Amino acid sequence: MTLGQRLIANEWSAIAVAIVIGVVGLAATSPAFLTEFNLYVMMRSFCVVLVVAFAQMLTLAVGQLNLSIGALGGLVAIAIGGMMEVLGFPIAVALPIGLAIGALGGLINGLLTVRTGINGFIITLATASAFTGINLGITESIPFYNLPSAFVAFGTARLSAFPMLLIPPVIVALLLALFLARTVPGRQLLAVGGNPHAAQLSGVHMNGIVVLAHTLSGLLAAVGAILAVAQLGSAQPTIGQDWLIMSFAAPIIGGAALTGGHVSVAATALAVVLIVLIQNGMVLAQVDPYWVQFLLGALILAAVGLNRLRAVRAGEA
Amino acid sequence: MTTRLSGALCRAFSIAALLAGAATVAQASDNKIALIPGGPHPYFAPWEQAAADAQKDFGIAAVDFKVPSEWKLNLQTELVESLVTQGYTAFGIFPGDAVGINSTVEELEGAGIPAAALAGCAQDPTKMQFCLGTDVYNSAYLGTKALIEAMGGKGKIVHLAGLLVDPNTKLRMDAVEKAVGETNGAVSIVQHITDTDAQEAADQKINALLGAQKDQIDGLISTAYIPSVVAAKSLRNLGDKRIKLVGIDDDPIVLDAIKDGFAAGTMAQNPYGQGYVGAYVLDLLAGGGCTVKADAPWIQTPQTAHFIDSGTLLISAANIASYKDDLKKITSDIQSSFKDKYLDCK
Amino acid sequence: MTATETLNPDPVMTVADANEAPARRGAFLAESGNLIGLAAIVLIFWVVLTSLRPGFISNFNLFTLSRSLAIDIVIGFSTMVVLATGGMNLAIGSIGVCAVMAAGFLMQGLGLPPLVAFAAALALGAALGWLNGFAIVRSGVNSFIITLASASLYLGAMLILSKAVTFNELPAAVADFGKLRFGGFVSPLLIIALAIGAALIVLFRFTALGREILAAGANPRAAELSGVPVGRVVIIAHTLSGALAGAAGLMLVARLGAAMPSIGQDWLLPSFLAPVLGGTLLSGGAVSVIGTMLGALLVTTIRSGLLVMQVGNFWLQLFLGVILLAAVMLDRYRGKVAERRSLGRR
Repeated sequence: MTLGQRLIANEWSAIAVAIVIGVVGLAATSPAFLTEFNLYVMMRSFCVVLVVAFAQMLTLAVGQLNLSIGALGGLVAIAIGGMMEVLGFPIAVALPIGLAIGALGGLINGLLTVRTGINGFIITLATASAFTGINLGITESIPFYNLPSAFVAFGTARLSAFPMLLIPPVIVALLLALFLARTVPGRQLLAVGGNPHAAQLSGVHMNGIVVLAHTLSGLLAAVGAILAVAQLGSAQPTIGQDWLIMSFAAPIIGGAALTGGHVSVAATALAVVLIVLIQNGMVLAQVDPYWVQFLLGALILAAVGLNRLRAVRAGEA
Repeated sequence: MTTRLSGALCRAFSIAALLAGAATVAQASDNKIALIPGGPHPYFAPWEQAAADAQKDFGIAAVDFKVPSEWKLNLQTELVESLVTQGYTAFGIFPGDAVGINSTVEELEGAGIPAAALAGCAQDPTKMQFCLGTDVYNSAYLGTKALIEAMGGKGKIVHLAGLLVDPNTKLRMDAVEKAVGETNGAVSIVQHITDTDAQEAADQKINALLGAQKDQIDGLISTAYIPSVVAAKSLRNLGDKRIKLVGIDDDPIVLDAIKDGFAAGTMAQNPYGQGYVGAYVLDLLAGGGCTVKADAPWIQTPQTAHFIDSGTLLISAANIASYKDDLKKITSDIQSSFKDKYLDCK
Repeated sequence: MTATETLNPDPVMTVADANEAPARRGAFLAESGNLIGLAAIVLIFWVVLTSLRPGFISNFNLFTLSRSLAIDIVIGFSTMVVLATGGMNLAIGSIGVCAVMAAGFLMQGLGLPPLVAFAAALALGAALGWLNGFAIVRSGVNSFIITLASASLYLGAMLILSKAVTFNELPAAVADFGKLRFGGFVSPLLIIALAIGAALIVLFRFTALGREILAAGANPRAAELSGVPVGRVVIIAHTLSGALAGAAGLMLVARLGAAMPSIGQDWLLPSFLAPVLGGTLLSGGAVSVIGTMLGALLVTTIRSGLLVMQVGNFWLQLFLGVILLAAVMLDRYRGKVAERRSLGRR
């Protein structure tokens, strides 16, 4: 295999090409694009979306959907906000409890799905409503503002163009890649999604794996929520409301199949880069507001088309 | 045990009734009034207090603050319909959609139940009795004027707006352009950035804007709640006091930005007054004793011919300590003169 | 390519199904069993709600219920027909709003009579659906992605063409139709929804096309081998879905008396909820038209019931979620008991 062939066979190569085209195009047309501050802005908006995309990717990996990601994220966001502002908990206490709430929410999703045998779609749709209800019941839609300054400062801190906020998502990405590639439960997770029947025959404890995927998904939603709170500087009840479509779009543009089994940390991350790039480019190019939606659709379609072309070339079709 | 308890309850009730009787003014009414925002939103939090105060001050049987569970028109109309079934006799509504609410209001009218638009108007033709609220066009216009003044009368501005599909957004865009047009080219609009009404979208878009053009733009006018908050915070993060910002509403983050010089001002609205006066007037209308005058001094806005300004004022560093009192005074002025000015009462 | 679009059903269910290999008659019995279970749960809700709050079955409440139900049912159908092929259509809201705005323009802008405008709008909905289907089949890309992108494209095209301006001066006949009541409490919209349901039952039960759609969804490769033109069938299903989305949008126009650009934005989740509650598989190959109607009825009932019961403002969503969970678990439990019994008998 030549280098070119290997590249074309790689599922993320098309997205990478799209990113390169986008970067070159934007850099050529808009001098502001490569400024330090704009790079910082882009990397910063990359953080939450990435973790949220991973949260969905894990449930997709076992052939499930998690519609409660945003609702759970919102709940965790106001929970840590409330703990820090109203109860006066220190950061080191509030954040782990927030993560635990996320994992618990995911665990509930997983257990309900497995125990009742009801489709995860319905379960997470219902729990999403429940999580949102708790969120609104507690906050009456009023945000928590007075968060510890160290926490808020973390959300805006940067080393030239590099936001500190990017550190947790990068660690999450590395751990996740390691988990899926090198650990037994990680491989079993992919096996269950790829072919549940075969996995069961080879002795994988399927229900356990599905519960694990949901729990990790909840945990990652909580990470996303914490990052979002730090980024925004206040714990808003509306956090997570627009995560859903994004959470699907990134892994699927990155090549994850809705049937499960086939997910890629790298491709998902690149898809998120592409999405952030498109959004940034829209503002940079001063697109007429009435055209924003249209171009967004056209660009997604173009990215997908490019990937499809690559797959056909590589003979995957 | 049971008899003793019920006896005690009876006594408690009669005492309460006596107290209530003593406390109420001449016109104790048995109307049930609901104040309904478009969905859960911090802007409407003062309505809860306004409802309780109005119920007490005007001796109304019930004034309740009822919130649709999500910001969706159909959930709002379903809530209204359900409350009709539960015997509510008047509605103060923030239209979840300025046009879409009208069919429901028309049905209320058909059933003899008056409704008024509070905080924001319904689009004419409408059966809303009147609209007590912020004139979105005027507010955006005045805000832009204030911004232009803060910028010294020249420069480039960007308009941050809410949902593009909301009819009010178009009005605000027009208002901003009108104010800019009056400068004869000294001020120009770089772009309108819309759909910034969600926390994360706002953060992403506004920071992208600042990343791309913070050196080219001189002013930001925000005509929605969330982008005001996000823009105030982003300018603080940047440490940029050169770019002037005029926002809307009095979120603590925006007020702090004004105090510290990161925002030039913000357009205050009067949510408490809207709820309080709204409940008062709806009580008069629902009793059948009063009707709305046709020839009252209504303000004509692009949305409706029956508008009453609930008070729009610019909060700046000068009046940040006192603006709440100013709004209170506006509220009591509107309330005390409302009956004579706008109503025909038997 | 549709094989890759099928969602993996829950592993537990897969194994159970594999062990039993239900016969055709068995599947039919199971379906009617499911329907009876769902109907029983709905019935329980109605009995409980009516005994607690007699206002629940007042003419007015029943009328408003029937109207929201009608729209939810048609939205559910729009997703259901695509689920039958094992695909998804995330663009129904966008197609709906395109049809709505087209109808609005034809009536208000060109002055065409409502019937002509509505027919043209339905045709537009069908055309946009066809475009989705065509793109999916030709490109071989997952329907999820294609419709995600086309949702953005269609909505964007609508915004560019309409500038998000509402049409609110439609012929009076349109709004009058939405307000009609038959027998005191039945909205004509519900009758339309039921008629569409009847047509869909005929399609899936008694026509070759319906069976081909199901076969293509159940196992596209096998269907192809046995001579079903899978590509054509998928395109037809998407076309139908587009037309139904247009129909739901037009029903909302009659309900609201206006054509608004904000219609359809919140359809996505309810559109899945009704069919999936009613027993339509996400993996394709099985639909239940009556189940979709019952699923929509269950959700509408719970929502309206919570409002009538005056469940606390902000907590309503929590109760909605919990009751929904309880309802599906009850149904599941009933299903398991019934299964065990029938196994025992065998």
